[in-house]
Amino acid sequence: MLNFLKQVGDYAKETAQAAKFIGQGLSVTFDHMKRRPVTVQYPYEKVIPSERYRGRIHFEFDKCIACEVCVRVCPINLPVVDWEFNRETKKKTLNHYSIDFGVCIFCGNCVEYCPTNCLSMTEEYELASYDRHNLNYDNVALGRLPYKVTEDPMVAPMREFAYLPKGAMDPHDLPKGTQRAGRLPKDILAEIEAEEAKKTPANAAAEEKSSS
Amino acid sequence: MTPGIDLQGTFVRALTDLGLPAGAAKTVWIPLPMVLMLIVATVSIFICVWLERKISAAAQQRIGPEYVGPLGALQAVADGVKLIFKADITPAKADPWLFIIGPAIVVIPVFLSFLIVPFGQNLVITDLGIGIFLWIALSSITPIGLLMAGYSSNNKYSLLGGLRAAAQSISYEIPLALAVLAVVMMSNGLSTIDIVNQQSQYGILGWNIWRQPVGFVIFWISALAECERLPFDLPEAEEELVAGYQTEYTGMKFGLFYVGSYVNLMLSALIVSVLYLGGWSFPVPVESITALLGISETAPVVQIVAASLGIVMTMLKAYLLVFLTILLRWTVPRVRIDQLLDLGWKFLLPIALVNLLVTAGLKLTLPGFFGG
Ligand code: SF4
Ligand code: SF4
Repeated sequence: MLNFLKQVGDYAKETAQAAKFIGQGLSVTFDHMKRRPVTVQYPYEKVIPSERYRGRIHFEFDKCIACEVCVRVCPINLPVVDWEFNRETKKKTLNHYSIDFGVCIFCGNCVEYCPTNCLSMTEEYELASYDRHNLNYDNVALGRLPYKVTEDPMVAPMREFAYLPKGAMDPHDLPKGTQRAGRLPKDILAEIEAEEAKKTPANAAAEEKSSS
Repeated sequence: MTPGIDLQGTFVRALTDLGLPAGAAKTVWIPLPMVLMLIVATVSIFICVWLERKISAAAQQRIGPEYVGPLGALQAVADGVKLIFKADITPAKADPWLFIIGPAIVVIPVFLSFLIVPFGQNLVITDLGIGIFLWIALSSITPIGLLMAGYSSNNKYSLLGGLRAAAQSISYEIPLALAVLAVVMMSNGLSTIDIVNQQSQYGILGWNIWRQPVGFVIFWISALAECERLPFDLPEAEEELVAGYQTEYTGMKFGLFYVGSYVNLMLSALIVSVLYLGGWSFPVPVESITALLGISETAPVVQIVAASLGIVMTMLKAYLLVFLTILLRWTVPRVRIDQLLDLGWKFLLPIALVNLLVTAGLKLTLPGFFGG
């Protein structure tokens, strides 16, 4: 009998606990309702991709030396480099170059290893098409530059979370001229350059002294 | 209790004054409340869908529908129009008759149940003596429709969904009925009007939720299970069963299931507010307010204000419960089928029985509080 009562007691305790946890869960959900939406209304508003965004690859035909390093470092040997050996100049001439973005994983290895820097990653991410073969970009398509979000009159550009001023959560209706938290790279660069400029004449003088 | 405004009496009298025979006047009256109720039920779908979307969006820090109508209120209409114009496909190897009848059987009892939902003393289509029992009876027709839909689709997911729906409805019908029985025992009647009147004497303090807290929880859980709302939406669990019994349905037949589920949700919320939250009664009894202001309770202005207040109160309570379900939807994960049946048979059923027993005991010992 006592055992049974204990069982009932335990059961009741568990039930109360379950009810408590559901209540806690409900309060969390309720609390989330007070928070502002972070929605960016996509076709009308777009997030500005960060500087390091790895989007569609841009290719400069004239810089390429057809070395095929990009093919070797690509995890799936994706870039197609079509070249011919020119016997007169003893150099390779590039005929065609293409990357299929339906297969590319945007890892950026090719960009990293290209010896002539003729590959770069753009901020373009809108690659939707009706046919996957349309994603196979040839050197002409690869040479196109994407349209900048900030210059598109149809689109309200929104800053990404990391680029919002300190404390701001919502990219909408930010006051003009606000800066993101921390110092901008270009400010840091300017500071370093100014310091170096200060140092250089002194260094030069010091060198002169030691040599004389 | 004052009789409240008697719309039917006034309407019939007005028509007979115009020279119609009394019988004809009554015939003219009969379809009016039904059509009105149908409209109320249909509009409630749109409101429910809108609430569902907006509250879900808010809980996930999204915006939700925004462009269709003011604040996206007409999104459900747009969806409905889309569903109507979609191709209506009956799978080649399906049983065509059952396939067509299924959704209808799901929807019709839900709409029929609105017969007994009172919005005021006389604002109900029929004050049936068996009131709430009719609702329980009608709500157990729905799983037959679901089973038909699941079976006739000739699809394993549909069949599983239909079977789950039937199992769920049958297991939760029992605690639901037992919880209702405790309330019925306290109010000495099955009629929804009597149930509300019995609670409305002392304002908010008299509501059944204080006397039947356990019954309220049991009823609410069972009602959620009957509606197949999220913690219990196993019959249409997307991740396991594609869409359960709806898998093979397209167009408006698919839409009917949605209509059915939303109207059912609204209906359950209304019934909970009738059974436990004092239906149309205001938190402070209207009689005491009129006494305080020194106006006669039977003055026409008071009657009209009280009636509209009653409708607003009923709706408010119902929508509060709908809000709670939507919040619950984003809080509680779906239970497994064995957990579901465990909860129904091993937890809710014994507790509902104990609750009934305790209520009966209290009714005998404290007849003043528990309806002698
Ligand atoms: S690594 Fe650069 S230079 Fe070499 S083939 Fe590829 S794109 Fe051309
Ligand atoms: S980004 Fe990566 S996957 Fe795409 S082409 Fe370059 S190396 Fe290959």
